[in-house]
Amino acid sequence: MKLVQVAGYLGSGKTTLILSLVKELATRGRKVAVLVNDVGEVPVDGQVMEKYGLTVKDIGGGCICCQVAGNMRATLNNLARNQKPDIVIIEPTGMAVPSAIRDGATIDPKFDSLNHGPTIVLFDTTRAEKFLTYETLERLVNTQLKDADIVALSKTDSASPEKVEYARSGVLKINPKARIVMLATKTGEGVPELAAAALGEGV
Amino acid sequence: MTPRERVVKFLNGEPVDRPPVFSGMGNVIRPVLDKYGIVFSRVHRDPAAMAKAAAGMYKDFGFECAVVPFDLAVEAEAIGSVVNYYDDVDSLLYPTIKEKCVKTIDDIKIPADLSKAGRIPVVCEAIRLLRKELGDEVAIGTYILGPFTLMGQLKELDELLEESFIEPEKTNEMLTMASDVIIKVLKLYHDAGADYLTVREMGATSDVMSPNSFRSLVKPHLQRIHAAIPRPNILHICGNTNYIIKDMHECGANAVSVDHKNCVPESRQKLGDKAIILSGFDPVKVLMQGKPGKIGPAAREMIPGASAVWPGCDIWPEIPGENMRELVGALKE
Repeated sequence: MKLVQVAGYLGSGKTTLILSLVKELATRGRKVAVLVNDVGEVPVDGQVMEKYGLTVKDIGGGCICCQVAGNMRATLNNLARNQKPDIVIIEPTGMAVPSAIRDGATIDPKFDSLNHGPTIVLFDTTRAEKFLTYETLERLVNTQLKDADIVALSKTDSASPEKVEYARSGVLKINPKARIVMLATKTGEGVPELAAAALGEGV
Repeated sequence: MTPRERVVKFLNGEPVDRPPVFSGMGNVIRPVLDKYGIVFSRVHRDPAAMAKAAAGMYKDFGFECAVVPFDLAVEAEAIGSVVNYYDDVDSLLYPTIKEKCVKTIDDIKIPADLSKAGRIPVVCEAIRLLRKELGDEVAIGTYILGPFTLMGQLKELDELLEESFIEPEKTNEMLTMASDVIIKVLKLYHDAGADYLTVREMGATSDVMSPNSFRSLVKPHLQRIHAAIPRPNILHICGNTNYIIKDMHECGANAVSVDHKNCVPESRQKLGDKAIILSGFDPVKVLMQGKPGKIGPAAREMIPGASAVWPGCDIWPEIPGENMRELVGALKE
């Protein structure tokens, strides 16, 4: 079972990307499950779940304290035992530390083994200035970006080319090793690339 | 010296025969639940079961405390957030907030009488039952979320952080409201019989909040809380907290508690000899994934610089009973 994390600040487009990824991965024949911080907030209707064989589980909101990490492990074990997905996508809260989620995710070897796929962190280009200049957000944004394997610059179709470039250079200053993917889920730009990365192709 | 005397004297900085082996956070494990026929998803709403489960950690495993509640949603639920208890799920899961009740400050409706709100009376009754069952022998502990973390159970924390930059006065007002609730609820828990109180401000970890933001946004509220609540009390924050360890100490709690990501010898250097520092071991790596014979040594690694070692977070209930026994035995040595 492979674990892919889609992290990022509130409103950066995590849920929209996850739904696009689920569809893309399903068309490539993969069975996907999603762990979210709050099922109630995910606009997944029954038809989408049925069509794509999607399982959605709640791991609870808040910071990744031991209780949430424990719930996540219990849910991963349940998925491995019952649904047996190929890929599990985790969408933590906007305040989560991606490395803490990664460290907290384990699975009982009697059910399956867990492979860690990429940590994808979304960065909203339309609000780049805020994220790169507000002192109160500095620590959170830096921590999330530093933990990213891939930074998906989101909403590039709604931001000017200058803003997108400002976001790209700002992100690379914080994490020079991150792979940058331009993402515009309305047009689908970036989704196939991220799906391939989730599958371990072309990384 | 009884375990209760040991815990209370230790936290008050008085001489003790050895550091206590206890926790200020949630700790209940499956062997105790099974022994007393308690279903985890229901224990949070049943004071008798809650007390029985907490007492079992002392009676069956020699842990020198009885701590209630077991989840992190009690106060938020009392204010209006909706909790999922996972009644229909086979595996053991902690209750979580499924619906947050606050978008703007106008949405915050604090109940006039918190002693009757949500499950606060359940926790109070569990504390009274624990005192009745354990007498003066065992220290009864309880905990509450700090103002910033509690607000995160009422509204999205990242929104709060963002708003704190744009409208600091409003954020401050919200945290004041949360602090008022914390002070009132901890007084209720103390009046019911709790011996020591832990304030858990894990949302304000240095991993996501800058030291400057902690100082301007959170610290003044924690100082007000620790000045107002009964003693002894503890302030716990997770992560690498050495960035703010002096600020934590200045919040005025009897003791500061940190987790395994924090370098305790460095904390000791910064705080001096007199500060009571509770060094938290990783309950997952040590207790859940640790193999027999390795639990004691792993916990003892956290001793340098510490006044005492305790779990740096809640103990996941699925840990093996023998691991808990080994931990308690090793730390008592």
